[in-house]
Amino acid sequence: MRVEIKNLSKAWDGVVGADNINLDISDGDLVAFLGPSGCGKTTTLLMVAGIYKPSGGTISFDGQVVNEVAPKDRGIGMVFQSYALYPHMSVFGNISYPLKLQKVDKAGIKQRVQKVADMMGIGDLLDRKIAQLSGGQQQRVSLGRALVKEPQLLLFDEPLSNLDARLRLTMRGEIKRLQSDLGITSIYVTHDQVEAMTMADKIAVMSKGVLQAYDVPEALYDRPKTLFVAGFVGNPPMNFLDVEVTGSDGEFRARSEAIDLVLPPDRAEKAAAIKGKVAMGLRPEDVDLVSDASPGAAGLTLGGMVEGVEPLGREDLVGVSINGVEMRVLVDKTKGVKVGDNIELAVDTSKIQLFDKETEQSLLWA
Amino acid sequence: MTTTEIAPPLPPVGLLPKAREKMGRRFAYGFLILSILPILVGYAWLIIATVSFRTEGLLPRNAEGGIGGFTLRNWDFVTDAAIWNAMFNSLLIALAMVIGVGIASTAGGYALSRMKFAGRKGFLSMTLVLHAFKAEMLLIAIFFVLRWLGDIPIIGNFIGFNSVGGVALVMIALELPLGIWLMKGFFDNLAWDMERAALIDGASRFRVWWQIMLPQVRPGLAALSLFTFIAGWNAYLVPFTFTIGTKVANMPVFLNQLISDTAPTNWNQVAAVGLFQMIPLLIFFIFTQELLLNIYAGGSKGS
Amino acid sequence: MRTFGLLEKGDISLTKPLDSDVPDVATGFRRPQRSALGRRFRATVTAYGFLGPAMALVLVFFIVPGILLLILSFTELSSANFNDPWSYIGFDNFSRLFTDRFFPKILRNTFFYVFTTLILFNLGLALLLALVTTNMPRRAGFFFRLVWLLPRLTPSVVYILMWRRIGQADPFGIYNQLFPEFLGASGGNLFLGGSPWTFVILTNGFIGASFGMIIFTSALESIPKDLLTAAKVDGASLWRIIRDIKIPLIKWPLLFISTYQTLSLLTSFEYILLLTDGGPGLFTTEVWALTAYKRAFASYAGNSQWAFGATWAIVLVTVALILAVGYVKMFKFNELIEEPRIENL
Ligand SMILES: Nc1ncnc2c1ncn2[C@@H]1O[C@H](COP(=O)(O)OP(=O)(O)OP(=O)(O)O)[C@@H](O)[C@H]1O
Ligand SMILES: [Mg+2]
Repeated sequence: MRVEIKNLSKAWDGVVGADNINLDISDGDLVAFLGPSGCGKTTTLLMVAGIYKPSGGTISFDGQVVNEVAPKDRGIGMVFQSYALYPHMSVFGNISYPLKLQKVDKAGIKQRVQKVADMMGIGDLLDRKIAQLSGGQQQRVSLGRALVKEPQLLLFDEPLSNLDARLRLTMRGEIKRLQSDLGITSIYVTHDQVEAMTMADKIAVMSKGVLQAYDVPEALYDRPKTLFVAGFVGNPPMNFLDVEVTGSDGEFRARSEAIDLVLPPDRAEKAAAIKGKVAMGLRPEDVDLVSDASPGAAGLTLGGMVEGVEPLGREDLVGVSINGVEMRVLVDKTKGVKVGDNIELAVDTSKIQLFDKETEQSLLWA
Repeated sequence: MTTTEIAPPLPPVGLLPKAREKMGRRFAYGFLILSILPILVGYAWLIIATVSFRTEGLLPRNAEGGIGGFTLRNWDFVTDAAIWNAMFNSLLIALAMVIGVGIASTAGGYALSRMKFAGRKGFLSMTLVLHAFKAEMLLIAIFFVLRWLGDIPIIGNFIGFNSVGGVALVMIALELPLGIWLMKGFFDNLAWDMERAALIDGASRFRVWWQIMLPQVRPGLAALSLFTFIAGWNAYLVPFTFTIGTKVANMPVFLNQLISDTAPTNWNQVAAVGLFQMIPLLIFFIFTQELLLNIYAGGSKGS
Repeated sequence: MRTFGLLEKGDISLTKPLDSDVPDVATGFRRPQRSALGRRFRATVTAYGFLGPAMALVLVFFIVPGILLLILSFTELSSANFNDPWSYIGFDNFSRLFTDRFFPKILRNTFFYVFTTLILFNLGLALLLALVTTNMPRRAGFFFRLVWLLPRLTPSVVYILMWRRIGQADPFGIYNQLFPEFLGASGGNLFLGGSPWTFVILTNGFIGASFGMIIFTSALESIPKDLLTAAKVDGASLWRIIRDIKIPLIKWPLLFISTYQTLSLLTSFEYILLLTDGGPGLFTTEVWALTAYKRAFASYAGNSQWAFGATWAIVLVTVALILAVGYVKMFKFNELIEEPRIENL
């Protein structure tokens, strides 16, 4: 099912939940709503579900405006972070509830519930009470309850954030597979960007009720259009340095008191037109440790002192002070970087991002 | 970078010197025992009195003034049909109240807690303000209302003046402000997501209330029912004011008639009837203590 | 829409014939749509449906009687002229009330009674009992609260009878027997002689305290244990924990009980009626509500002055209303009301 959200807003006297959101979701896609806590993800989702009434704007399913359609008539299924299972009913009772309300006959209910439960891997738990299930099992029941009525749109509100890291990983894969197998259009709210990146066909990044970006995951990562998106997408987050970009004779340089880097022309051209400082973004993974600090590589490397090392397993997250400016970079663990070391970093300048500090818009991707 | 400071030694955790703690505990128990002394003494007397000829202080006395005088004479009333009739009426009123208050409070409390509609805030304030109208003050006016209700053909006989139904209706109404307020408190504590899930699953609001929400507030409803039952069972002022004669008298009214009809009043018999009236409650009380003590868990939600 | 592989077609029987006929494509889904106004209207009707039973009862037994009370206070209806049409006499009843010789005394009594009982028992003792009983082993606390609930189970007549026996003159009084020469015991009647107010307040307080005790207890028990542990680790003494953590966290029940009990006390008189009947002597322990009751139902020479009783009642109800609204405003009850988190129906 196609979902179109047009100029959607929600405010409770004074508090803004969602501000003029515009989104088109293609049939069968899984779209992730990603953003920091309190940015309006749940608010938007609940408006799509029909639980909240929009203050302005419209929501359409397949071209039909559904603002005034009751939640039960929208043909949606929803999975909640808290699972929201009915504790006084058994697993069977929970999954069959939507069908009972549709007055499906007894045999039909049994058959469909069993089928969905088997699909969820909880076929043998149907007689259990909810309190007798683990968190992961509860989440499967909740997913089953959402699926059993064959919804045309699935809504997920941080469904995995109450699970432990390992289970989250498994469930993530299962949900994604199920969703694409069944081809149900889905909206998936999360503040875990790895979840969003791996599962979503498209990601909607939100901040303070405003839709910041809406694009495929790679685009958000490689071509962030705003400072916020650049900073939010990617883990560990992008480093930002205040620099002045100047260009002469086809050579562009990014300079500040701390650094001096040569930039490729295709990246720097627009920034050079700006008088004063711009924000230069550099991902922690886009640097390489240069073994011998030869000064000859001026303009291509940055030298600094290691101030902290966080082992992340395969790599170390290294805090470097470059002439007083802090940066965090990823360095191969085998390099054995220690606090106090003086290191030289080669920068992959073809990956840097540049932003106007005032408008916070990208100077590379309009 | 900040260096990690060496934590100062932790202050002793909850370790009052043993002696002080012991003294504090003794003080607490002492205070509590002192506080329930009048209650204990009162009930001790009550029990002694019901099986004595006469009492002086806590001592039973016989006709000659010596200690003794054990008798079951005070309990003769149990063979009187009137008291069983009164007990039946008490039961009727109490049950009607449990049902009436239960339905009206859970429905009203649910709407006020969970639904958005014009006039909600007004109603919420009103349930608080309604506590200003106590039964005691409205008796005169309710008297007229009941007489008018009694003039309604057919059903008037069951809900008018001098009918058990009328008394029950008045009592239900007067319990409502508290009942609604308490039930609203219980509903306030329920998760929104569960209700949202049910609505998305296809339930109507009525169904959500009945099938999903009511089961969650069962402990609260049970406790409210219990307190309502007690209020109905022991109701005196309203039944006394709105009934005439013994046919529709409930237990407390019966008890009062006993006091005013017999001269001189046999107080020991009054005590026995009173204890008799309490017995069903006490039995109930013992079996439902846990519930009884939980009633306000919802109504007292912290801000 | 792509194929919906969950179930094969014909696998199940849908009850809605429309849905099963139409191929399972997006356009086949029926979504009944109403106008925005229609939906708002429906939602409101549903809400009032839920409130219906309560509203009907409130209307019949609160609003109508309230208005009647007001009307009555302008008439001279009594049990003597009960069958005559009501005759309007203007503000006579009110001027009679406010010029009553004992009006100031009754007013003083009422305020003394209400606020002393409220502060000492219905709030003070209730809070103390809740704090103490939640600070001891569960079973012990449980036992004391159970005993404290007993008075509530006791028929009022018998409850008062117990207190009368406690305070009676020799040789019947229990207090006089247990403490012959102690704390004001003189062998005489304590509630009609010695200290009637003490007894009036005790009898009412013992009932009132248990209500607050239970509310406060459950509020205290719902405070997360982590908070208390954190405070202890921070080195807070028992007293500081009570003052800085427990009391602020049960603010809402405290406010509710203050409001509720003020109004209850203001209009209650049953126990006073049974214990002292306003005596000893003239209006010593007479409170406003008792006067209203006596004027209306138990007045001179068998003639119940209903209208005059109604006047006392309506003035008291007005005072209670003003207090209630005052409390609602003062404690900002409205700000504690949460907006429902389901809006669209
Ligand atoms: N019913 C409501 N009444 C008033 N304000 C609300 C309501 N619901 C949400 N808000 C506010 O709207 C904003 C967005 O809330 P929302 O729940 O949509 O955030 P979220 O993105 O889902 O955050 P999280 O990741 O923490 O769940 C917040 O500031 C929140 O306080
Ligand atoms: Mg959320």
